[in-house]
Amino acid sequence: MTFSGWRRYTLALFITAAIFGTAFYVAYLFNEARVADIRATEDQISIDLQSSETQYELLGSLTCSYASSNEGNPVLSDELNTLANQLTYAEDTLGSENSQVIQLKEQYSLLEIQDYLLLEKLSMQCGTHPIYILYFYSNAGDCSSCGEEGDVLTYLRETYPTLRVYSFDYHLDLSALKTLIELHTIAPTLPALIINSRLPVYGFKSVDDILKIAPGIAKLSTTTPTSSPTANTEF
Amino acid sequence: MAFGQIGIYFFLFLGLYFEVFLLITFFEKRPTVKTVARPLRYPSVSIIVPCWNEERTLAGTLKSLLSLEYPKDKLSIIVVNDGSTDSTLAIAEQFASNPQVHVLSKKNGGKYTALNTGIEHSKSELVGCLDADSFVVPDALIESVKKFEENPKTMAVVPAMKVNRPRNLLELMQAVEYTFGIFYRKMFDNISAISVLPGPFSIYRREMFSITGPFRHAHNTEDMEMAFRMHAYGLRIENAHTSVVYTNVPRTVRSLVRQRTRWSQGFLQNSRDYRYMYFNRRYGHFGTLVLPFLLVMFLGGLYGAAFVLYRIVSWIVAEAQVFMVEKIPMQVPHFSLDWFYFNTSTMTLLVIATVCTTLAAVLIGRRIAGANFGIWSIVSYFTIYGLVAPLWLANAAWGAVRSRESRWR
Repeated sequence: MTFSGWRRYTLALFITAAIFGTAFYVAYLFNEARVADIRATEDQISIDLQSSETQYELLGSLTCSYASSNEGNPVLSDELNTLANQLTYAEDTLGSENSQVIQLKEQYSLLEIQDYLLLEKLSMQCGTHPIYILYFYSNAGDCSSCGEEGDVLTYLRETYPTLRVYSFDYHLDLSALKTLIELHTIAPTLPALIINSRLPVYGFKSVDDILKIAPGIAKLSTTTPTSSPTANTEF
Repeated sequence: MAFGQIGIYFFLFLGLYFEVFLLITFFEKRPTVKTVARPLRYPSVSIIVPCWNEERTLAGTLKSLLSLEYPKDKLSIIVVNDGSTDSTLAIAEQFASNPQVHVLSKKNGGKYTALNTGIEHSKSELVGCLDADSFVVPDALIESVKKFEENPKTMAVVPAMKVNRPRNLLELMQAVEYTFGIFYRKMFDNISAISVLPGPFSIYRREMFSITGPFRHAHNTEDMEMAFRMHAYGLRIENAHTSVVYTNVPRTVRSLVRQRTRWSQGFLQNSRDYRYMYFNRRYGHFGTLVLPFLLVMFLGGLYGAAFVLYRIVSWIVAEAQVFMVEKIPMQVPHFSLDWFYFNTSTMTLLVIATVCTTLAAVLIGRRIAGANFGIWSIVSYFTIYGLVAPLWLANAAWGAVRSRESRWR
């Protein structure tokens, strides 16, 4: 079969367009699979958190022996860190305005708050002093140094795996998050950090600055940091 | 979507379109298999060997010509020494005792003048040329002559070119590139749009020169300009993919960049001289497809290189910022094996599709010419080519903008 003149040009155009369409569709399928993966992880974390809370209610102070085995942190540190990396990657590939990403971020923020509350309960009950940082950032263009602060916190989180970093998008439309912001009276001067229930500190803080504010971080067990696939702690 | 990415999508689309178009032509008209048939008649042939300081390879070139399976009384070899300063002339004269070989010597004037001198001294029906760093296989001339016999309107026949004994990575890369070229040339032949008549063993009907005139300086790419001119006159060029010629290729990056700068700049400058052929249906697929796409690929190569360079510089600046401003120690990049972090963006998938179609073209070219190269050649092609090609593309663009003549060596 031969194609002459414009037919050959048209056929080539059709095939090329089909290849392009397939590429767009396959990329879309991969992104959907990622979103499903994140959602499954969030569901699992949610179950684990509820389980931890129930365990706490059942065992009371006996939970302390369980918590102390993890330097005073609840058990979900690794899962939340993994989820943070996945969400950052998803935001990079799908965009921060993507409705699915926003929904996943809301769910993630809720899990963080639940984990944070559980952490506080455990530390009060057991007299432990875990170190945690509440980090408020913005993607709305009103925080020029949020990217740098995210890098700093990623580095600290990877260097000190037991350091808890809770990252919140300040402008996320989530009532629980708004309550948290009101409780700590955090002004929209971002980035904002709350380190171990201290008063909020505003503006970019380097690794040294944070270690000066919370010298206890340097005493935490360390690991050799490597650049994660997503080098930005904005979740 | 960033502006820079839109440009990449644009060039990827056009590049894919071009390759798909050529693959369609391949499936429409597959290359014929080589046969042992001989021509009904053996026309007289003169092969001109222009040489300037070719003492290292000239003897091998002449020996390969003398080994051609062709009636000796029908084949003459005209060596034109173009003012060499080494022992090229002495080597050529060692062959002068052979009645088939004629040695001419002239003041240096450039390759095109050597070719024209050879044409003036020839009286044969067919006139060919062979660069003095190339070697023909014994049946190459017969295979080309058969093409002239098949179609009396054919005015020129170009061979399939392979790299002579590739050894280092750069030569292996070019071995794949030349095989890719075999595919391209055959597909261009299918649509009557061959864009260059290479120095190694292109054969012309003598009468053609009375229509087109002799070779010109043509920005040091007389072989390309002659193809342009033949299309301008509506003359037919064919490809004899069974006529094989081996050629030496640059062994260093420096010499490769210089050679390709000459080719690329010659293309730009000849395109300017023959700009009326662009998108002109009068010149068939050559004007409507091949010329525009070769130019688009040139621009796309430059654009892609600039885009990648910009991304690399941005990354380095960002890393430097992390180090200088954030006071975070430099970290070893970590690549996760988790599928989640694999780059499956549309652009990545399209690049993979483009690489696959290119690979398909290379493999078809390998089959057409019976070329043989291994996986390392393919790997070196897909890795090194993208690194070095921007050098000659940028050099050529700059040279064309300044209207500066490219250099031969």
